[in-house]
Amino acid sequence: MNNSKNQMDSDIQKKIDHEIRMRDGACKLLAACSQKDQALEAAKSLQTCSTRIMAYMSELQRMKEAQVMQKVTRRSSDAGPMDDRLPCKGKVAISDLRIPLMWKDTEYFKNKGELHRCAVFCLLQLGGEIFDTDMVIVDRTLTDICFDNTIVFNEASPGFEMRVELYSCCSEDDYSAGSTPRKLASKLSSSLGRSAGKKFRAAMEPGPCSPVSNGGATPLLLPVPSVPGPKYHLLAHTTMSLSHVQDSFRTHDLTISGNEECSYWLPLYGSMCCRLAAQPRCMTQQMMSGCLKVKQLGGDPQSWTKVYAVLKGTSLFCYHRQEDVEANVEPAFTIAINKETRIRASEKDPQSKVQNICISNQYGGEEVTHTLTTDSREDTHRWMEAFWQHFYDMSQWKQCCDDLMKIELPSPRKPAPLTPKQGSLYHEMVIESSDDLSSTVSDILARRMQELELRSQLGTSPTWMSLFEENNPKSACRPRPCTSRLSGHSPCTPHRLPRSPASPHRCPQLSLLSSDASLTSDSDSHCSTSPCFHRHGWPEPSPNFSLLSSSPSRLRPRTLSLDAKLSTLQGRGYRGGGTLQCLCQSPPSLLHGPLPVSSRSPRSQRSTQTTLSCSSSTSSNSSSNSEGRHSPESSDGAPFSRPSPARRSLRNLRARLDPRNWLQSQV
Amino acid sequence: MSNFIPGQPLIAVVLRIEIKKLRQGDNLILGFSIGGGIDQDPGQNPFSDDKTDKGIYVTRITPGGPAEEADLRMGDKIMQVNGYDMTMMTHDQARKRLTKKNEDVVRLLVTRKSLEEAVKHSMGSYPRQ
Repeated sequence: MNNSKNQMDSDIQKKIDHEIRMRDGACKLLAACSQKDQALEAAKSLQTCSTRIMAYMSELQRMKEAQVMQKVTRRSSDAGPMDDRLPCKGKVAISDLRIPLMWKDTEYFKNKGELHRCAVFCLLQLGGEIFDTDMVIVDRTLTDICFDNTIVFNEASPGFEMRVELYSCCSEDDYSAGSTPRKLASKLSSSLGRSAGKKFRAAMEPGPCSPVSNGGATPLLLPVPSVPGPKYHLLAHTTMSLSHVQDSFRTHDLTISGNEECSYWLPLYGSMCCRLAAQPRCMTQQMMSGCLKVKQLGGDPQSWTKVYAVLKGTSLFCYHRQEDVEANVEPAFTIAINKETRIRASEKDPQSKVQNICISNQYGGEEVTHTLTTDSREDTHRWMEAFWQHFYDMSQWKQCCDDLMKIELPSPRKPAPLTPKQGSLYHEMVIESSDDLSSTVSDILARRMQELELRSQLGTSPTWMSLFEENNPKSACRPRPCTSRLSGHSPCTPHRLPRSPASPHRCPQLSLLSSDASLTSDSDSHCSTSPCFHRHGWPEPSPNFSLLSSSPSRLRPRTLSLDAKLSTLQGRGYRGGGTLQCLCQSPPSLLHGPLPVSSRSPRSQRSTQTTLSCSSSTSSNSSSNSEGRHSPESSDGAPFSRPSPARRSLRNLRARLDPRNWLQSQV
Repeated sequence: MSNFIPGQPLIAVVLRIEIKKLRQGDNLILGFSIGGGIDQDPGQNPFSDDKTDKGIYVTRITPGGPAEEADLRMGDKIMQVNGYDMTMMTHDQARKRLTKKNEDVVRLLVTRKSLEEAVKHSMGSYPRQ
């Protein structure tokens, strides 16, 4: 016994020495560093080291006292067997600490220039372990102090008391002695308010704010080094115990020390939210394992099943063989061991002279009893002991034993995700599309439409326009959810429609379009039916036409169809304004999105389109972003009116539901 | 414009731009697109310096439209529309404020980086809070 005590002594002494070295290092760093951030961090380490040293010292002192006491009691009358049962230890983890702040609205507008900033961090202490969180700079713009760290204490007993302390330090003034007067002078020259003046006074002298304290510990024997530089002061503290443990977030009250006059003051709301979880060992580890024979009560007296049983958590897992445990094979059966289970030893079996263990559970109103037996009396005794210990643990850890609480171990520092900018499809699109292209498209379309209107006034119109007028049934398929054709993709591009059935060589195009619809959908719900002409042959038109016309027929204004097509085009990054005629003439060379534009100057168009369509293949990945370029993204004011509110709302809804999008609206 | 602290008064150099809406059927259009808003992700705004700025920015100008004529430029941040503040608006609110049917003219206060630079250079040290 003495040896173990000495061992523990030397362990603690080693820890103390280690911490003293760390503290010296922190002091040196503090004296040497020039940047404020470094100084704050160094001061934080200094604070942590000091607290740890004090904790270890007090632990050492306690142990010495206990030793003395033991010697005393041993000399006195022999005390009975000490309380034998100790509950198992467990892991306690605290995470997602959040401390709300309560700024006064007058503080916003009073001092324009000065932003009172404090550096804060939390010190958490449980048993002999002390951990600190990262440091956070807090100022008026924050509504909560959030600490992202997860702190795990490994050796906690059920009666643990975790002390949470919030330290803060004012981070605006320069602490080096030499420059204070100058700063003060400059500040005084811009007429201080009363409370600001008090703050500065308090900052310059240690003042009424309490020095670093460790609640309840014996006074420190070592001299605390006084180092120039930022000093942290205790702002608030609280103590948590088993009753606060829960598998979800809870709010706890904080005890605030310090007052408004202190430089390190922050207006705390007075509470703290966190998730305090505990994993007792009995839930995570095998408490007992061995070979058993099990039979269900009321069964055949001879039907004992040999199993390898493992007691863990709230169950006794019975495997066929011991190897199954490592192999992660499902156990043969499981017997629940929880608060409602009753275990007793039955009378001796006349044959084997070994007591049986009976485990009774209530499964939905029915009582089920399993009988266990072992090979020897010692084994039975050990199993009973294990069960009793398990029950004792569960009674001590209370709510932690109902279900296993998840504790996420803090992973080694991951670099902050760099993806937001890279992943933004919006940026991809901006890079790819130059304004010239989009204006080119809009110009083309505008010109075409103008010509169109001229022509219609004159009585002639391009052949494809006849679709709009003549083939009402056909021209109907529009951005209404064309669910008949497409797999649930809503606004399908209306431009599919305007193909004249009259000209034979266009029919195949139409059918091509519709047949392509299902194939070329770039998983883009925003009407992805972009036909890839070059892929397919020319099936006959008729069956597909029926598909097209299945939607209710209606004549629509041309502008809407063009507009919708344009928005689809733009949305999918298709920079080509195709021409219908182009595609007719040389389908293989064109990849994407035909447009009902007249046949004027197809050549030039085509060349642009080919190049553009190449680029659009990459941007067709931006499927989701097409929705971002949502509603009326039509370019010109002139020929395009804004789509009907109904359609816009549908698109709006889709676009708004995707949080990745950065909405743009045309006005 | 760079140090936008919520709740604090802001000082910026602004340009007054007056846009007469163009009538298209029964729609009045201005000829530009806006992005941003307090309900949008400010990190995706390609025009803002400060990626936490949730203001309303001009993202596209329709060529030949009324906005282009009034010399509104892509990347401008809209501070006010007809006297109403636009720095703390959701995207939809901003759009609605620009597309009021009973207003034929919108008077915008916009700010852009080039303006600030110009003032800074012309005045030496620019007093800024």
